[in-house]
Amino acid sequence: MLPPKVQELVQLFARLPSVGEKTAQRFVLFLLTREPDTARVLGSALLDITGTILPCVRCGNLAEVDAARASAPVCGICRDSRRDPGVLCVVARVQDLMSIERSRAFRGTYFVLGRLLSPLEGIGADQLPIEELKLRVRGGEDSPVVKEVLVATPPSVDGEATALFLAQELKPLGVRVTRLASGVPHGGDIEFADPVTIGRAIAGRRGLD
Amino acid sequence: MIKPLTLDRLSLLDVRNLASVELEPAPHINVIAGNNGQGKTSVLEAIYALATSRSFRTTTTRELVRHSTPMARIRGRLAEHWPTGKLNRDQGIDLSARGKRELVLDSEPPVSLTHYATRSPVVVFEPKQLALTTGPAAERRTLLDRVTLFTHPEVGVHRARYAMALKERLILLADRHRDRSAELSAYETLLAEHGAQLTSIRALAVAALLEPLKEAFHRIAAPNLNLDVRYVPGGSADAGEMLARLAHDRRADQQRKRTGYGPHRDDLELTLDGHEARVVASQGQHRALTLALKIAEHRAIASARGVQPILLLDDVSSELDADRTAALFDHLATTESQIFLTTTRRDWILVSGATRDRADFIVEGGIVTPA
Repeated sequence: MLPPKVQELVQLFARLPSVGEKTAQRFVLFLLTREPDTARVLGSALLDITGTILPCVRCGNLAEVDAARASAPVCGICRDSRRDPGVLCVVARVQDLMSIERSRAFRGTYFVLGRLLSPLEGIGADQLPIEELKLRVRGGEDSPVVKEVLVATPPSVDGEATALFLAQELKPLGVRVTRLASGVPHGGDIEFADPVTIGRAIAGRRGLD
Repeated sequence: MIKPLTLDRLSLLDVRNLASVELEPAPHINVIAGNNGQGKTSVLEAIYALATSRSFRTTTTRELVRHSTPMARIRGRLAEHWPTGKLNRDQGIDLSARGKRELVLDSEPPVSLTHYATRSPVVVFEPKQLALTTGPAAERRTLLDRVTLFTHPEVGVHRARYAMALKERLILLADRHRDRSAELSAYETLLAEHGAQLTSIRALAVAALLEPLKEAFHRIAAPNLNLDVRYVPGGSADAGEMLARLAHDRRADQQRKRTGYGPHRDDLELTLDGHEARVVASQGQHRALTLALKIAEHRAIASARGVQPILLLDDVSSELDADRTAALFDHLATTESQIFLTTTRRDWILVSGATRDRADFIVEGGIVTPA
């Protein structure tokens, strides 16, 4: 049997997404027996981020709190003057923002919803940060007016419903609302794509000129 | 060209009361005889599960696992008979007592469930299906969906998304305290999109069933009786029309706590000389009609998929009279399909054809032996 402290640590690791009891045990034994230095560095890094990393007040992305100036946390993307604040990409989760960033195809700014509509799970419109989003679109003293909102929610039923709902809410503000195109994955084969994806890819085709 | 499909080898381990079975079926007729409760239907059920990954008797496949064993294993070799040669395929399914399903297609997991289920079409006819013409519309929608799975495999995605949006809309309607109209119109847009697709795909399936159905019914029942079939959509193939109607019906749907409009309310209307078959048909005509529907399903799937579906007939002669049994066997003799049929009286099964194309098996207490 493992000592109680080690067992507790295993239980803590097992709380992480897609980590089961066995994997958690491997992590703990690895840190204990093979890399005690990593354990020490990891421990202080974890301590360091608590309270110093908070959601960005403008977009919801992760941001570092500036302890010296004690100002509200604003993330690196919102602070970057090279980004186009006129185009706003709405995503469901921070993970989705990361994926879009990795593509390096988007040079605008973001808004993280944090959740999607889901009546089945009791999540209604009043639990989405609609007013914050509208505020952001209208612009203010330190943020310019948004000209286009790109809705990048997932193509699931709830993701699509959320996109349609946002379009209804935002259009009266005079902003252009666009939706992420769906199509055949790059490096994939048309042969193996599902018919619904192909149907949408054809509906959303574009000119080659 | 429609190629025959045959199951050339079947091996079962711990399926219902069948501990271990090894069969080499004949390419045309296979008679599975035995007294009631010996395991005849379980053999058909295993073939159905091998081909489709599901059961026609239950929705919980763990029921197929033999009592106090951990897992049922079904393996088979199927062959498509092309004019230039025979193409074999080994496939199988493992069902665990805890409800897990694992599929193998040529020693690899299949790309998708739809891919697996459309490789080897089967059509099953069992006494319970007499409800097709007399029972609720759900049975007839299931018939349409079995055909659309082969004519338009993408229908599954539309059906699943439609069903999900339908549930979400009802929950929104049930909220009488807040204004949910903006959310409702978002979900209604999705219902309209997928519902319209589902409707147009089902309309095509009905068109594919029409001719074979009329033809089969004329042959089995009285030729002077005029059968007509009409698709009665619960919604519309026009997404715009669906959207308007859903928005209009909100209050009514809120009161009755269900959605009154849409393809989940589809039906297939069967009429005999202009009168609704459900009301006017005799017992015998109902049976003839059900049988004709199954023959039509068989033909429609054959032309959509390009192979002759395997036919599974469970105890049909107990439900059909002598004339209709004869008509059925006449049809069977003309198809190139492989057939598995169960019976309590082997000597009643009179099908013409070379004896090398027929195999008889006896099932007794979970043991299957060649007769």
